[in-house]
This record gives sequence, C-alpha cells and structure tokens, in this order.
Amino acid sequence: MSEAVSLALREQFATPTQQRETASIGMWIFVVSETMLFGALFVAFAVYRLSHPHAFDIGSGEMELTLGSINTVILICSSFTMALAVYNAESGRQGWLVFFLLLTVLLGCIFLGIKFTEYYDHFLDRKAPSIWFQYHGADAPQVQMFFVFYFILTALHVVHLVVGLLLLLLMVIRSLARTFTPAYHTPILMTGVYWSFVDVIWVFLYAIFYVPGFHIK
Amino acid sequence: MKTHLVSLKGYILTWLALLALAGLTILIGFANLGQFNILVAVAIAAAQASLLAAVYMHGLFGTTLIRVIAAGGIIWFLFFLTLVLGDYMTRGWVPFPGK
Repeated sequence: MSEAVSLALREQFATPTQQRETASIGMWIFVVSETMLFGALFVAFAVYRLSHPHAFDIGSGEMELTLGSINTVILICSSFTMALAVYNAESGRQGWLVFFLLLTVLLGCIFLGIKFTEYYDHFLDRKAPSIWFQYHGADAPQVQMFFVFYFILTALHVVHLVVGLLLLLLMVIRSLARTFTPAYHTPILMTGVYWSFVDVIWVFLYAIFYVPGFHIK
Repeated sequence: MKTHLVSLKGYILTWLALLALAGLTILIGFANLGQFNILVAVAIAAAQASLLAAVYMHGLFGTTLIRVIAAGGIIWFLFFLTLVLGDYMTRGWVPFPGK
C-alpha cells in the first residue's frame, strides 16, 4: 500500500474499498434524512396546491420562466462536470480533477447569481410574502401562500447549494495538496453524491413552481 | 483492476438524457393540460432524479445496503404522501354529525 493511501486510510478500516463503502452508506443515510426534510415540505405544498389549484397556478404564472429554465440547465451541467471530476479522480488526473471541480463551483455561482436576480425581481414586483406582498386578485391570501412555499423551499435549496460550494472549494484545496489518488478519493465521491442530490431537489422545485404557470404566461 | 465506477460514455449519455428531459418539461409546460401539467412535470422530474441517483450518485453501482437505504427513503416518502393526501382528499366524503 502506498504512503498516501495508508495515510488516508483510517485505522478502523482494513482496505480503502471498505472505508469508501462505509462512507457511502453514511452519505446515503444523510441523503435519506434530507429527503425527509424536503419531503415534508413537498407534501405540505401538495396539500395546499390541491386545496387552491387556481391560486397556485396564478402564483406559478408570476415565475421567471427563462431564468428558471436556464438555472435548470446550469445545474444539470454542473452535475455533469462534478461527475467528470469524479471520473478524473478515479484516473488520478489531478489537473483535470481541479479543473472540473472549479468549473462546478463556477456553474454553482452562476446558479446563485440568477436565483438572487429572481428574488430581487420578486421583491420589486411586491411578491415577497409579508408586508411587502401585493396582489389585487380575488385569491390574494392563497397566491401569497404559493410564494411562502416558493421562498421557503428555494431558500432551503440555496442553503444546501452554498454548503455544496464550500465542500467543493475544500475539495479543490485538498486536490491541490495532492491528497487524492486513484486508490483514495472517497471525499470527492461523497461530494459528488451531495452535489447531485442538490440537483435532484431542484428538478422537483422547477416542476412544481415554474411549469404549471407556463401556459398562463 | 476496475478503475471507473461509470464509463465516460455513461456520464455523457446521462447528461444528454437529463437535458432532453429538461427540454421535454419546458415543452409540457407550454401545453395547457390543466391540472395534469404539474403531474406530468413531476413524473419527468422523477425520471431525472432516478437518472441522477443511479448514475451520478452511483446508487446503481453501490452495495445492496445502499440500495436498501435509498429504497427505504423513497418508500417512506410515498407512504407519507399517500397517507397525508388520503386524509385531506377524503375529508367530507363521510358526513360528520354536527358538522
């Protein structure tokens, strides 16, 4: 076993493979616990949506279709670049590993920039729930409820995305320090699992918040 | 020794499939299907999530225990969704004395 691998291998594990499988199990348990967190909010959204379908369609019609669609493509591309980072970590190509990690960070930052532009537009349109909210239709309280869900769920997603960006930057630093080898790159694999999970949440957010209002616009 | 969990071709094909499904979601959005718009969009999102979990999160290539954990999460969510919506959607089906 090389020196780098033996240094990365914790004493309770016999082989790097055993360590990687144990880390994967822990990561998937974490992903399932996150599913429960988002799942509860998705179910609450479903209950309100079934109770007020027309008002929620009106709320969805206020979404920025172009920005939301661009963000979906950006996040899918970032999952792809993260997968390529994992691929290069497996091959031991340090340069490409750092390149794809940084590309993923860049795409994540673009996503955040677009998301905050959307938030700013909603704020200017007086669609931020609370005392700033303004809607002159019959279902104003229900439309506001749509925006309550929109801001809570997307903000929770943004928090997860920021954590993902910090993890990616940590991986960049560790890659530059040549911590990872083809035999040991478990943290890169786990960061990839987390980043793709952030993408999983977004595709559902896009489906429930943006798509129903397309035809209204 | 097997170096890669997923081949480069596998990653690229998954990426293209995810983009194609995103395009399909946009097209579905422009069609007026009434309340079915959101159902179809969520079904496509579920297909995208399956691809992401299977290939990019390596769920398909993990140990059996990982698959059991992932399946447990999905089954928990479906139970939760079914029971809660079952409760809300059937309220009023049976007349309650005094209500």
